[in-house]
Amino acid sequence: MAQFAALIYEPKDSRLEPTNPKFAEYMGGYGRFGEQYGASFAGGAALAPPETATTIYVEGGEDGDVVMLDGPYAETKEFLGGFYLIQAEDLDAAIAVARHIPAAWRDGGRIEVRPVWEM
Amino acid sequence: MNGFASASIAEVVRTEGGRVVATLYRMTRVLDVAEDAFAEAAVVALERWPVDGLPERPGAWLATVARRKALDMLRREQRRRSKEDAAAAALDALADNEPLTWSTVRDDQLRLLFTCCHPALAPASRVALALRVLCGLTTPEIARAFLVSDATMGQRISRAKAKIAATKLGYRVPPDHELPARLRSVLDVVNVVFTTGHHAPIGETLQRVDLTDEAIRLARLLGDLMPDEPECLGFLALLLSTHARHTTRVGDDGELVLLRDADRSRWDHDAIAEARALIERALRAGRPGPYQLQAAISCVHSCAPDFASTDWNDVVALYRILDDRWPTPVVRVNRAIAESQVHGPAAGLQLLDSVAGASGWPFFHAARGDLLERAGRRAEARDAFAAALACEPNAVNRRLIERRLAALKD
Repeated sequence: MAQFAALIYEPKDSRLEPTNPKFAEYMGGYGRFGEQYGASFAGGAALAPPETATTIYVEGGEDGDVVMLDGPYAETKEFLGGFYLIQAEDLDAAIAVARHIPAAWRDGGRIEVRPVWEM
Repeated sequence: MNGFASASIAEVVRTEGGRVVATLYRMTRVLDVAEDAFAEAAVVALERWPVDGLPERPGAWLATVARRKALDMLRREQRRRSKEDAAAAALDALADNEPLTWSTVRDDQLRLLFTCCHPALAPASRVALALRVLCGLTTPEIARAFLVSDATMGQRISRAKAKIAATKLGYRVPPDHELPARLRSVLDVVNVVFTTGHHAPIGETLQRVDLTDEAIRLARLLGDLMPDEPECLGFLALLLSTHARHTTRVGDDGELVLLRDADRSRWDHDAIAEARALIERALRAGRPGPYQLQAAISCVHSCAPDFASTDWNDVVALYRILDDRWPTPVVRVNRAIAESQVHGPAAGLQLLDSVAGASGWPFFHAARGDLLERAGRRAEARDAFAAALACEPNAVNRRLIERRLAALKD
């Protein structure tokens, strides 16, 4: 068994606020996905929106100064909205699960599937 | 030398290479080990066979030696690192001395072909990998065929191998419900292998028979795997019918010979008969696909006793279906040429005007030039042939276009 990260890229504005009447339906898709395929999950998380991101690097070596930038590392039309860690035999098996992530088939999203490096 | 030349030994080793590597890959699941073990076995064969004579079953001989080499390599590897799990399974598979059956060998190759043609790999990598791993071409040979540097091609191949290893990319023939989608990618890859051999894109030679032969071998393998899949049979028919005419594509003077001028007695009529039987069987399934239609068109030409008796109505009807359901610029240009045979050059030119994105393609301009000349529009024809030359066609095509242009200047 190997692990694959399924990184969920959502178009800006596709994510609904909890106050939106369609929010329950939007999240329900992820709930149903979890019920159906949860057995193969090894982890995962939904991330708060990219506006909340802080991008940092350190200048002058490990003990140097932290430089902080407001916003995500790359300003793109899509943002990383969350990820699942999927336990699967091979890429085909991982894709067979990842294809059911709601962002893959609605909301105009894309899923990047990447093997976790076995160390 | 026991009656056979070292050139033929090298040939046997090379043709068996794809089979042996595929089997070793099944056992080890590491492409580099499979390739290196085979390379070591090939060295032994090249030393021993000229002295001992060709073994009765050279493929089995090579597989046995290569298996032993792979076993040694993995044992060394296992001693060096303590990582045992994956290697242990591979060692078991390699140590098993059961003789390989033909069906196992065939299945191994098919699985590896599907791995190399997996849609998760970039299209250019699929072709390169198939040529390297299944057809035994060297990286420089593949680099030459695709007009890139050795370093670029080496990097492309090793990156694809790394991805296969990291993702444990499916080493299997896909299940039936996925087969139609996956088959398309496999046929497209084998088709690129074939056309790369059939139309060498630049340079002085027009054909590389080693590539066309490999493509036909792989197409036969796919036909064996899926005898009920009409697109598979159609694909094999297309390659056979096209290849059957290859001896007359270039004249003794090295110049390109057009279909209308070909000496049809020199075509391979056995291959044409096989192609025809295959395409008829495929079309009876009632599920036409792009390769079946192209094969049917090719067979109309191959089966016509001379150019004048070509059934252009059939050709046009087939191109119309192809252009309607699977449109590409190439199909549209070929359809225009066929339509012009039935409805005159003006009809063909009208279709050519609707082709988008072909301005960098010499064949498009040459086809336009031909139709313009037949329509009596000589000045425009000259411009079209000049545009074709500006696209830098390969040397053989260039000389043909230059001759047409010179004739128009008289």
